[in-house]
Amino acid sequence: MAGKRKLLIQSAVGLGLVVLAAFVTGGVLGFMNASGQDVMSSSAALWTVGVFAVITMLIAMWVSLKWMSSIDEAAQEAHKWAWYWGGSSGMAVGGALVIMASLPQAAAINIPAWYSDRVDPAAYAATGAFAMLTLMLIGYGVAWAWWWWARR
Amino acid sequence: MNNRLKVLRAERDWSQAHLATELGVSRQTVNALETGRYDPSLPLAFKIARLFQLPIESIFSDEE
Repeated sequence: MAGKRKLLIQSAVGLGLVVLAAFVTGGVLGFMNASGQDVMSSSAALWTVGVFAVITMLIAMWVSLKWMSSIDEAAQEAHKWAWYWGGSSGMAVGGALVIMASLPQAAAINIPAWYSDRVDPAAYAATGAFAMLTLMLIGYGVAWAWWWWARR
Repeated sequence: MNNRLKVLRAERDWSQAHLATELGVSRQTVNALETGRYDPSLPLAFKIARLFQLPIESIFSDEE
């Protein structure tokens, strides 16, 4: 129980650090924007968002590491199984969509501009990466639930 | 792999939650072990054997 409590506290601290990093990043960019600079096109924005992204992912990895080491071996096995089979299945669905995107008919598909109303190649690349990630996470969730359901 | 975990636990009148606490695992893991749908690692198998003060081979069996 003490281990779980410690993990919850550490996760809350990790989440708090991400929120703090977002607050500082937003503050810096807001300050620069208010001073009349074209913030998002500047190299400062590139560095600020880049550093924020790296810090966020490092914190996420740290919380994941703490989480994985706090659960027992069967729970770890469930996650490893789900990562391999669920993630791979989700990637297979995404892979089929990638292959179908090579068809000339795919050029006529209008993909919604959800990424800050942008329709440039980088925004579409992010859309594709996010779609693949979503499919893999869905597969992961289903596989994880299946693993425990089969051992109930 | 088969095991006698459920029988051994019942003999001691322990709940799954109690056994889980003794082994440092979740109750769900104890359930998965008892139903034979999850095989423990060697360290956990040794821990189980020490807890019940029995040899591993008298708790776990690879016979169908």
